[in-house]
Amino acid sequence: MKSLILLLISISYIVAGQYDKVKITPDMAYIYVYHKGKAVKVHREQDTKHKLTGEYAKTYRPGKDIQPIKINDDVKTIGEVELLHFIKDKGNTGKGILIDLRTKDNYAKESIPSAINIPFRVKDNPEKISKVMQILGAKIANDGSWDTSEAMDIVFYCNGLWCDKSARFIKMFLELGYPAKKMLYYRGGFQMWKILGFTTVINK
Amino acid sequence: MRLFYFSILILSTIIAHAGVVEITKGLAFVKVKENGKTIRIQRNQNKDNYLNNTFALTSRPSPPFFIEPFSINDDIETYGELEVLDFISKEKGIFIDARLSNWYKQSAIPSAVNIPFKIFLSDTDERTKILESFGGKKTKDDWDFSNAKTLLFYCNGAWCGQSPTAINALIEIGYPEDKMKYYRGGMQSWQLLGLTTIVPNGGK
Repeated sequence: MKSLILLLISISYIVAGQYDKVKITPDMAYIYVYHKGKAVKVHREQDTKHKLTGEYAKTYRPGKDIQPIKINDDVKTIGEVELLHFIKDKGNTGKGILIDLRTKDNYAKESIPSAINIPFRVKDNPEKISKVMQILGAKIANDGSWDTSEAMDIVFYCNGLWCDKSARFIKMFLELGYPAKKMLYYRGGFQMWKILGFTTVINK
Repeated sequence: MRLFYFSILILSTIIAHAGVVEITKGLAFVKVKENGKTIRIQRNQNKDNYLNNTFALTSRPSPPFFIEPFSINDDIETYGELEVLDFISKEKGIFIDARLSNWYKQSAIPSAVNIPFKIFLSDTDERTKILESFGGKKTKDDWDFSNAKTLLFYCNGAWCGQSPTAINALIEIGYPEDKMKYYRGGMQSWQLLGLTTIVPNGGK
C-alpha cells in the first residue's frame, strides 16, 4: 500500500512537471480544452531546439496584405494568453466558441484545439450564414432581424497576420447585427499559434 | 506576330505583378532613416523563403521566457506592423529596441535605437540623460514629461518580456501612457512576414 502511494506521488510529480520547461505564462503550463467532445491538453512544444518548418514558416505570401492591429474601435484584438482564458472560461462552458475561418482542407490538416470550422466562403451563402447564426444562439426576431441577446461570444482566427478573412467575416457579422462586444479577433492566427509551439489537433 | 509578342509581354508583366509580396495593396516599401542612410523596408520576394534562423525557434525556456499578454494595460496601445511602419516612416517619435545589446547587434528593425531595458530600471546618470533626450525635464525630485516624445518599443516577440519591462519601469517614473506604444510581434513576427532587417553598424 505504502509503495503504491509512493508510486502515485512520484507519477504526479512527473506529470506536474511535464510542461514546465516551456510554459505559457508563469502560472500556466497547460490547460485542458474540449475538442469535439474530447479533452485535449494544450501546452507548448518542450524541445527548446525545435524550429517551425513547413508551410507556416513561409514568408512569401503574394497578394496578402499585412493586417492592421485592429478591425475597429469596438472589436477587441487578442493574443494567445487571452485566447486560452477565453477557451477555458467560455469555450469549455459553452458560453463561447472559437471559429476557424480557413478552408476545410487547412482545418482538416491541423487546427487550434476546440475550434470549429466555418470556411470563409460560407460568407456568400445566406442560407448557411443563417444556420451559423442559429448555431451561435441568435434568434430571428419578430421584425425579421437577428436577436443576439443570447448569442455566444466568438473568437475568430484565420491563417495569420497576412490573412484578411477574419476582418472581412467580422465586418459581415457586424452588418447582420452581431454585437461587436461578443466578437474577438485573434490576429496572430494559426501561424503565430504554430511558431509559439502550441498543441494542435488533426481533424480528419 | 508583333501583337503576339506584345501580349506575351503584357501577360508576363501581369503574372510577375501577381507574384509580388507587398506590405499592403499598392504599398511595396516604405523608406526610413538608419544611421544617416535611407533604407527601404519591404517584404522578401523570394518564393522559397522560409524563416529558419533563431526566430523560427518555437520554445524558449521558461523562465525567463513566457508568452506576453496582448496589451500591457488599457492605456498603452499595442501596435502591429502597419502601425510600426507608419510611425517610423513619418518619424512620429522614438523607435526603441529594448533588447540587450547582444541581441540588437545581430539583427534589428531599421531606424531603431537600442536602449536596453535594464537602463530604465534604476535611477542613474545614464537614465537621466536618456529621459532628457526624450524631452523629459527633471524637476526637484520628479520628472515633467509634458513635452516628452512618443516612444515605440519592441523586442524579440510575443515571448519577450524586455519591452514590457521597459514600459512598466517608465510608467513608474510617470512617463505618460498615451506616449508609449508596444509592438508585441517584435523581431519574430517582423521576420515571419519577410520584412527587412539590418545588422546594425555591420555587426561591429
